[in-house]
Amino acid sequence: MNDVSVDQAPMTSELSTDQSGGPVTGPRLFNEVLLEVNNVSLSFGGVKALSDISFDIKKGEVRAIIGPNGAGKSSMLNCINGFYHPQEGTITYKGKERRQMRPHEAAKTGIARTFQNIALFRGMSTLDNIMTGRLLKMKSNLFWQALYWGPNLKEENEHREKVEHIIDFLEIQDIRKTPVGRLPYGLQKRVELGRALAMEPELLLLDEPMAGMNVEEKEDMCRFVLDVNDQFGTTIALIEHDMGVVMDISDRVVVLDYGRKLADGTPDEVRSNQDVIDAYLGVSH
Amino acid sequence: MLYREAGQFKTSYGADQAIFPILQDKLGMIVILALAVVVVPLMASTYMLNSILIPFLVFSMAAIGLNLLTGYCGQLSLGTGGFMACGAFFAYKLTTAFPELHIVLVFLLSGLGTAMVGILFGIPSLRIKGFYLAVATLAAQFFLVWMFNKFDWWTNYSASGVISAPPREVLPGAFITGTEAEPVTKYYFLLGFVAVLALIAKNLVRSRIGRAWMAIRDMDIAAEIIGIRPLWTKLSAFAISSFYIGIAGALWAFVYTGSVEALAFEINRSFQVLFMIIIGGLGSILGSFLGAAFIVLLPILLNAGMLAIDPTISSALVSHIEFMIFGALIVFFLIVEPHGLARLWALAKEKLRLWPFPY
Repeated sequence: MNDVSVDQAPMTSELSTDQSGGPVTGPRLFNEVLLEVNNVSLSFGGVKALSDISFDIKKGEVRAIIGPNGAGKSSMLNCINGFYHPQEGTITYKGKERRQMRPHEAAKTGIARTFQNIALFRGMSTLDNIMTGRLLKMKSNLFWQALYWGPNLKEENEHREKVEHIIDFLEIQDIRKTPVGRLPYGLQKRVELGRALAMEPELLLLDEPMAGMNVEEKEDMCRFVLDVNDQFGTTIALIEHDMGVVMDISDRVVVLDYGRKLADGTPDEVRSNQDVIDAYLGVSH
Repeated sequence: MLYREAGQFKTSYGADQAIFPILQDKLGMIVILALAVVVVPLMASTYMLNSILIPFLVFSMAAIGLNLLTGYCGQLSLGTGGFMACGAFFAYKLTTAFPELHIVLVFLLSGLGTAMVGILFGIPSLRIKGFYLAVATLAAQFFLVWMFNKFDWWTNYSASGVISAPPREVLPGAFITGTEAEPVTKYYFLLGFVAVLALIAKNLVRSRIGRAWMAIRDMDIAAEIIGIRPLWTKLSAFAISSFYIGIAGALWAFVYTGSVEALAFEINRSFQVLFMIIIGGLGSILGSFLGAAFIVLLPILLNAGMLAIDPTISSALVSHIEFMIFGALIVFFLIVEPHGLARLWALAKEKLRLWPFPY
């Protein structure tokens, strides 16, 4: 995995458009807080999924959420995303506290996401899947859609062009018209990323984007994640189990275990944290 | 050899998104339309127009309507018969109350009225899915038919509960309803009307709203995180689907049969249309036509076939055997190709592209 960051470093500094984008391996500085989680607790019946979690995500960074299985990582994303509403605590996004927000409202404010187990629209082609991601940006009314003429035709073509940029970016030109159900797993993950990118999100939540991939596919995916962060300036929060990937590509890491926060900091700080080592390796009692 | 897109380059996204992006498909469609417009009326007998082509077109409209809801938006509905009844009775009340209103306008308005009813009965879809929703729409089916049967106001207090379409003309002198209407005029009117509405349906499903429907059908959770509002999307599918089905009901009562009672729109009608879209192909406008053709033609062909084998066969026996073979064929088709005739057609076209060198 180290190769990835070494390869990546010169490329990212070249392509970097924002001030903060230095080499990924060095510490990058971020000031503006994009999303803040304050003392969030979530329980299902008697099971506490999250208890008293606080952390923040700064604008422009790659933030990893790690932890053993069942630590509450996906529940955390679901809270940010509006699927779950935490019983206690607040989530502040772009300086505004949100309460009881539905997922489609979260989408409107610029939060996109991919899922742990692929959630593509299986009956539709790659192109249509990614076009669906543009839905919020399309405005033409039912009348023009019925005629497929005038403003609707113009809009379809404009958004098709945007989608083609994403298809080029993800290097999936050859599967444009293929129904996604027929694609292999790694490509489906890539299409799902494309659909999230089509929303032009400010905050991109990736739930295990590299799960079940071989080394090559993981390297490709890492490259896409870093490029998205660099070229589009998208803030990324990702859950990942591959420690090599996490330590390489993320700016800061938050560690959860049994719904509690164990550690929070740069990859190096987290790596040397005794609680984290205990949680991952087990500790003798 | 003949069917190949090699050499047909597209230089704009518009050309790539066309309904028939391949030249051969375009030509094929033109030929079919030319046959339908020129040859069929010349060749077809009155019987063929009245009992095959006209019901085929009316059923196609209903099948398109149900396909928008069930095939594209994934909301299973058994209320088709009820919604068709709505269209028929709304059109009857409208045209008897305002005789000077143009008949096409009457059909469209009754479709709009049915859309309202569809939205009302679509509200449960926000909470329930699949079989449970089917049961909820079944309530619509029974309630609507009961209402039109029970209250004489809908039939203008006719003693028999039957409504008869008053004579109306679509162009001066060209009657499409009533006893004087010529089958050929009816056929031309239906052909045009159904073709235009089918084109609109096709445009909708390849636009924003269609993609939203399919997203809800394929993965409603993922659809929501993209920003699709489940409430609006499902209700719009119910509304537009009911609009089509309502118009189909009005056409059934006015143009096809001429007189109808509420019981003509019983649950059997719902199943009939549902079979059409399952056999034709869920999520395909072409499939709606193929399914309608299959369901309309098959009983007639079976009947004719049996009479050809044994002219003395009793009509009761014929109808029983017809049911058995009909059911067996449906099962057979679903086993061979669960995605319907439209998929078979698509597969055939894929094979044809490679023919005669399939490697």
